Formats: sequence, structure tokens, C-alpha cells
Amino acid sequence: MAFVTLDGITKVYENSREPAVKDISFEVRDGEFMVLLGPSGCGKSTVLRMIAGLETISGGDLRIDGERMNSVPAKDRDIAMVFQSYALYPHMKVRDNLAFGLRRRGISRSDINRRIEQVAESLGLTPYLDRKPHALSGGQRQRVAVGRAIVRDPKVFLFDEPLSNLDASLRVSTRNELVNLHNRLGATTIYVTHDQVEAMTMGTRICIINDGKLVQIGPPMEVYRKPVNTFVAGFLGSPPMNLIEAELKSGADGAFKLDIGTQCIELPEAWISYLQGKSGKIIFGIRPEDIFLSGQDMKRGANAAVTMTVTAVEALGAETIIIFELEGVDTKVFVKADRYTRANIGDTMPLSIDMGVARLFDPVTTKVISNNTQLSG
Amino acid sequence: MNKQKDLSQPLGAIVTFLVPALTIYVAFTAYPVVRTIYNSFHEVLPGHPNEFLGLQNYVTLYNDKYFWGSVKNTLTWALTAPFFEQFFAILLALALYARIPGARFFRIVWFTPVLMSFVVVGIIWMWIFNYDWGALNVILRAIGLENLAMSWLGDPSIALPALILVTTWMWTGFNMVVLLAALHSLPSEVLEASELDNCNWPKKLWFVIIPMIRPTILNLIVLSFVGKMKIFDLVWIMTKGGPLWSTETVSTYVYKRAFEWNSFDLGYPCSIASVWFVIVLAGVLLLTFIFRQRDKLEY
Amino acid sequence: MASFSRSWKHVLLIFVLTIYTAYTAGPLFWVALMSLRTTTEIAHNPYALPETLHLWKFSEAWVNSNYSVYFANSVKVVLSAVAIITLVGGMAAHCFARYRFPLRKVLYFTIFSTIIFPPQITIIALFQILVEYGLYNSLVGLMLSYVAFQLPITVYILESFFARIPADLYDAARMDGYSEWQIFWKVSMPVALPALSTTIILNTILLWNEFLYAVVLITDESKRTLPLGIQKFMGDQLEDIGMISTGLMIAIIPVVIIYVFFSERLIQGMTAGAIK
Repeated sequence: MAFVTLDGITKVYENSREPAVKDISFEVRDGEFMVLLGPSGCGKSTVLRMIAGLETISGGDLRIDGERMNSVPAKDRDIAMVFQSYALYPHMKVRDNLAFGLRRRGISRSDINRRIEQVAESLGLTPYLDRKPHALSGGQRQRVAVGRAIVRDPKVFLFDEPLSNLDASLRVSTRNELVNLHNRLGATTIYVTHDQVEAMTMGTRICIINDGKLVQIGPPMEVYRKPVNTFVAGFLGSPPMNLIEAELKSGADGAFKLDIGTQCIELPEAWISYLQGKSGKIIFGIRPEDIFLSGQDMKRGANAAVTMTVTAVEALGAETIIIFELEGVDTKVFVKADRYTRANIGDTMPLSIDMGVARLFDPVTTKVISNNTQLSG
Repeated sequence: MNKQKDLSQPLGAIVTFLVPALTIYVAFTAYPVVRTIYNSFHEVLPGHPNEFLGLQNYVTLYNDKYFWGSVKNTLTWALTAPFFEQFFAILLALALYARIPGARFFRIVWFTPVLMSFVVVGIIWMWIFNYDWGALNVILRAIGLENLAMSWLGDPSIALPALILVTTWMWTGFNMVVLLAALHSLPSEVLEASELDNCNWPKKLWFVIIPMIRPTILNLIVLSFVGKMKIFDLVWIMTKGGPLWSTETVSTYVYKRAFEWNSFDLGYPCSIASVWFVIVLAGVLLLTFIFRQRDKLEY
Repeated sequence: MASFSRSWKHVLLIFVLTIYTAYTAGPLFWVALMSLRTTTEIAHNPYALPETLHLWKFSEAWVNSNYSVYFANSVKVVLSAVAIITLVGGMAAHCFARYRFPLRKVLYFTIFSTIIFPPQITIIALFQILVEYGLYNSLVGLMLSYVAFQLPITVYILESFFARIPADLYDAARMDGYSEWQIFWKVSMPVALPALSTTIILNTILLWNEFLYAVVLITDESKRTLPLGIQKFMGDQLEDIGMISTGLMIAIIPVVIIYVFFSERLIQGMTAGAIK
């Protein structure tokens, strides 16, 4: 039962003028799984550490359940945190690692033991309770770190890239376990990661941070389908959204056309309303899965045809990524095709673009030009 | 807006953690250093107020031939012993590195002397150097080198080298252990033990091995240099600076002037100590600087 | 042929190493033998093996030559100095490694650079100061001087170890509800146990053997430490080689016992300042 409110949170480190975190505001609702996503060094961990009480908040207010927390020390915030390095106490057995946080809180010994047994049981750690951390595998250590947070039964869980030290296969299964755990406990969770797959699969909502600023916040699919600027567009998705420089022209009949290199495509009529009066350089954004080879499945009506030349083919097994070159354009265009696709380097082929989900960005402000909500993903 | 408590810099805790160490440091190290330098400009007699002398102590010092003699002895010691130690230590370290059976045993035994007090070492070596029944002369006589047998600590021209031999005996094993650790931390392909067997190994030693462990060697030389510049106990036990001032070091001279001579003045020995303090610091800085320069030139 | 010359070299090498070993260990071995022989026997032949083990010499030295007092003084001074150095040095090192505060670098460098100071720069003034504090010729005064003497190297060794403990560990303990002081005791110190044992061993050996401070700061016979006691005994009984040897062994034996059990730790501790 906890909600966390950040209201204009700012962090300025002592010996730098530029704030590391600038005026971030959002609210994490009760029971929500909020993911803070951003490239390394963007300030997302600093935000988390401020919520935890490990860093001083330079400006703005942090509230938990409406109560201002700025000057409450970490230990009194009733928050538990799982660290990237796990931060297990190397000189203590797993049992003591789990108990360490309880012993300060006036909980009776038998109660502590009961809670440890329970948590260890639920995480499959019972056989390891009397081992020290160095005798555990990476995955087991990670679970101890999670267990140490759970056992305290805090109001809020914080995770700081908890999966980044695991190998790829373990990461997928642990991701799943954490989601299940969250579903079971229903605790308010704030999770920091730079991995967009984790963000997409785990979060109730994603909060994207870049350069210390909050860029976009929303449910994963909304953020994915409707990036508010080129940063989000280019950060989410693998491969990310194609961002192609283009030239916007208004035709004689009031319709708009887009010059992409030497080719020209018509823009849907629905866009006319907000493109009014605009022309010149623009960035055309389209996701790789929204460009189709002829003959491949395409569900939408509005589309535009272009011709492109194959420069590389990456067959990933489940799907094939074809990298195209557009005449007169520097950027390569990535296209996700199905696994049966055959393409050779140098082939020139016609493709169709699903204009219904295409986006236009201002090249100067990098912001999206449309915000037409009818384009749902 | 009131200033918030800084969570990453709990000032109270910082002060609590530092105060005991700083108190001890100030009371028993910093203050004595300052007091020594203050004393060096005064005549300090028990029961008398200190009398300001200006630079007079330093002028006396400049003309004090015993002081300069002790400087010469100490510098001779500090500039030769480190190299003897390094030379033998490198050879011994290489021998143990070449997977000699019993290497662990050798290493442990060779390290022993440095664990002994200078008092213990000094007394033992006084006996070894004894003219009549000391081990050194006994061995020399036994192998027919009777004319080399001498009064090692009684001859002014031999006493200092004899003492340098003792410090080398004491510290070679220590240096060997550090060098061996440095060798073991090198990538093993470079130093395959079998390759040391080929006839070219002195070359290999000079051009491959020594350059690779040079930071360690230089560090040990500086450490040994500092140790010899401070040396007191061994001399005090074995020769008290004699015969004829030939083994007087700055440390023993300071001690004599402060606590042995009937002058009772603590000001003059303090000026010696101050000068020596500056020389040791300068020496360390100079050595570090020279070694750094050479490193820069090569990389 | 090659293998012949190789094994021949090997034999030569081992021979040389054995000679060197005799050269290092011989003197100590010789003293050990003499400590069990009487001066008359030694005068007869200094290099003979003991005919009968005169173990009574140890009780003689212990009781009649005051070695029990010297030994007790050494133990008292060394143990209390090492305990204080470890605690105070650990606190300071923890502070330097863990917190960022103004003057941190200046203070650390000041303490660190003291490692190379020649002791003469402090010893005379220290003598005066202890006289003024009423701590001259007292074991407490000597002990405090020892603490100050070994503090810089201790802080240096411990700081470099504490600095390698991941900051997350401290943060985790803070979130677990522990105060800075409790974190120092329950996290820093236990995790740093290897480094602590290194400094404890180093300080114990160096102070057990220390002579200069003792000779300047102690005058009473009843307050002499072992090295000082041996030196004075030798000064009085210069010719009594047998009893001096016994005295030397009393100082050597504890070190050798520690060395036998903890040789690697001891080597590690003694060389800690030299290995970067």
C-alpha cells in the first residue's frame, strides 16, 4: 500500500554545475511496476538512489504515501533495494544476510527465523542458507539479494539493474521470476534498467530518462508505438525505429508529399490538419516491422511504395532483418521480414510502408510532429 | 529553505572516525616535528627558558666535521646497501622462480632475518665478527686465508663495510620475497622456467626480466634507501659509531648529542634532525623523480 | 648431453642455495645452540653442539636477570599499542576510503607522507613532550609513541583495502537500517579481516623489535622492553656470551613460534608496504 510521488526532483552534484537530474516529476501508483529506462549515465540510477535515501535531493519533493521524505534517512523510509552488484555481505552466511536488515527493526528472533525460512522456501534458497555468498552461483546470489529485500516486507522495492550481471539465458528466466514475484506480492516497485527488453516485458509503465530529464512515460506499448521524440524512437526496439531524413512538400491540391532521397511518397489525408503550413526538412520515422516486402502479410490500408536496394541480410532464425539502401539517403533502412525471406545483396525491390503507424519528427527539436491519438498500436 | 542534512556525507560520523587518529597524529607526530624545528633555532637546556639563537645552530652544524662525517657514512650506506640487496635478491628470486625443489622452504628461511630485532642481529654479528673466535675469522683460518682474518669492527676502514654486510644479510631475503611475488605476477609465457636454462640467460635477465619488474625494484630501492637513512639500532648495538667515528650515522650522532654528551642542549641535535629530515625528504623526492623520468623516456 | 648439463646445473644451483641458506639461518641456529650452553663451554669451543641441554639457563634469565619483567613489559606495550593502532587506524582508514569531505586528500597525504620521516625528527621533542605530560619513563608514554609511529603505515594499508570494498555494500547496510558506526563494526571491519590481520602482524613484529623509542623514552630497569633489556644486559655482562644468547632466544622464540604457524601471513604482512 504505497505510492511514490516525485515532484520536480533535481540533483546537482557538488563539483559540477550541470544538474545530473533535472526537474523530474512522476507518480508510481500503488502496486505498480515502474521501469526507469535510459542509456547509462542518464541519471536513472541517481533518481533511484534519491528515492532510496542514499543521495541527497537537491531540489523538489519526494513523497511516499503523500508524506515528504526528502530529509528522512534511508533506514526510516521503509524501502528495500536490490543492487546491481547484489551487495551481499561477504562475511555472512545467506541466513545472516537475510536477517541483517531485520535485526535492526526490533523483530523477535523467532519471527526473524520464520520469515527467513519462508522467503528462502519461496526462492528455493533453503539448501543454501548456511553457505557464504562466495560459495553460490551468480543466479543464487541474485536470488539472495532479492530475498533480502522481500524478507523486510517494505512499502517499496527498488531494483538497480539487478539482472545485468547474469548471463543471457538466466536473465530471461529470472526476468520471469521477478514478474511473477511482483504479481504475487503486489508491492510498489521501481526498477532501473538500460535493457529495453526488460523494460518492455516487465513494466506496468516505462519512464524513459535521457540526459537527466524525463522524456516519456507510459505503458510499454504506448511508449513503443508512439515515441514522443527521436531519442525514444531510436532507443526502443531492436533494431530501433528507422529515422530517415526527408523533405516535406505541400502539393497543389493541399495534400502533402514527402521526398525521401530521389523518391516521393504521398502522406495520408488524415495528417493534413496538423501539417498545415509546414514544409522543409523533416525526419520520417518508421519501425522495421512496419515496412513490408511485396507478398508479405500486411494488415493496414494506408501504405506507400518505395524501392530500395539490399545491402545486408541478417538471418536471425525466427526472422530475417534486411538492411536496405535508399537512393539519395545516407541512413540505412532496417526491415524486419519473416524467416522465409530470400534476398541477395544488390537486389533492388519494391516495398510498402504502413503509413498508418509512421511518424514525423522535427529535425531541430527532435519532437514528434503529430500526436494523433487515433494511430493506436 | 533550510539546508538539508547531507546523506552521503554524515559530518558527525566523519569527525568521530577521524578525531582519534588525528589527535594522536597531532600530539605525537605533528607537534613534535614543529617543536623540533622550533628547538633548532634555540638553546634548549633543562630548567632554563629557551634562548633564541637564530641560525647559530646551523652555522655550528655547517662547521661540524663529525656531522659531515656521519652524513658521509650514512649516505655511503644508503646509496650502496640497496643495490647489494637488489643484486642478490634478484638472483635468489630467479633461482626460486625456476621451480627449484624446496623453494617454499628456502623462501621461508631466507625471510627470517628481517623478523629479528636489530638488537638481536647486532649482537649475533658482533660475535661473528669477533677477532679471536668469531665465525668469519674461524672460517677464513680454516680455509687457509689466515692473512684475511682481521678485527672487522675494530678497523676504521673495515667497520662500515662490515655493518653494510649485516644489513644486506638482513634485508636480502625480504627483497627477494617481494621480487618473487612480482615475478609470479608476470605472464608465465614470458618467463618459461625452461628458457632460463639456455646459455643466454644473463641477457634475458637484463633485457626482459628486469625491465618487467622494474617498478617493484625501484620501489624496493626507495624503501631500502629510506631505511638506511634512518639507521640507528644496529650501529648503536655493534659499534656506537666507532672506531674513530668511522661508523657514526646521523641518527647515532643526533642521539649522542641529545642524550649522551654532557652539553645537555637539545637545540643543536634538533637542528641536525631538521637538516636530516629535509635531506631524507629531498632524497626520496629526487629518487622518485629520477625513476619517473626514466620511465617516461622509455614509454 | 643437454639433459646432463641441465641436471648438473641444477645440482650446482641447489648447492649454492644451500650455502646461502646456511648463511642466513646459521647465525640464528648458532645462537640457539649457545643459549643452551654455559659460557665456560662456549669459551672452550664456540661451535660445538651442546653436550647437556642447560635448560635451567632460561629460568635463570627469566627469574634472576629480570627477563620476565622485560618480557611482560614488551607484551603489555606491544599488545595494547597494536590494539589501539588497529582500532584508531581502522576508523581513520574507513573514513578516508568511504566518505568524501573537504581536506580529505590533504589530511591523507599528510599522514601518508609521515611513513618516510626519519624518527629523529620527532624523537627529541617527543622526549621533551612526554616529560611535560608526565609520561616520560612510562609504558603508557612508550605505547602512545608506538601508536603514533605505526599509525601512518596502518592507515595506508587499510585505506587501500577499504577502498576496494564496493560502495554498494555500505549502501545496502544503510538501507538495512544501520548507523555509520554500526556499519564500521559489522561490515567494514569484518570484511577487511585479511588486511587487518596483515597490519596486526606487521605492527606486532616491528614493535616487538623496536629499540630507538625504547632507549630514549625508558630509563627505569623495571620498565625496559625486551630489546632494551637485552642491550643493557649485554652492556653489563659483556663476557657472558652464554647468558646473552639465552636472552636473545627469549626475544626470538615468540617471533619464531608466530612464524612457524603463520609464515605466509607474516611474510605478507611484512612486505605489505613494499608491494604496490
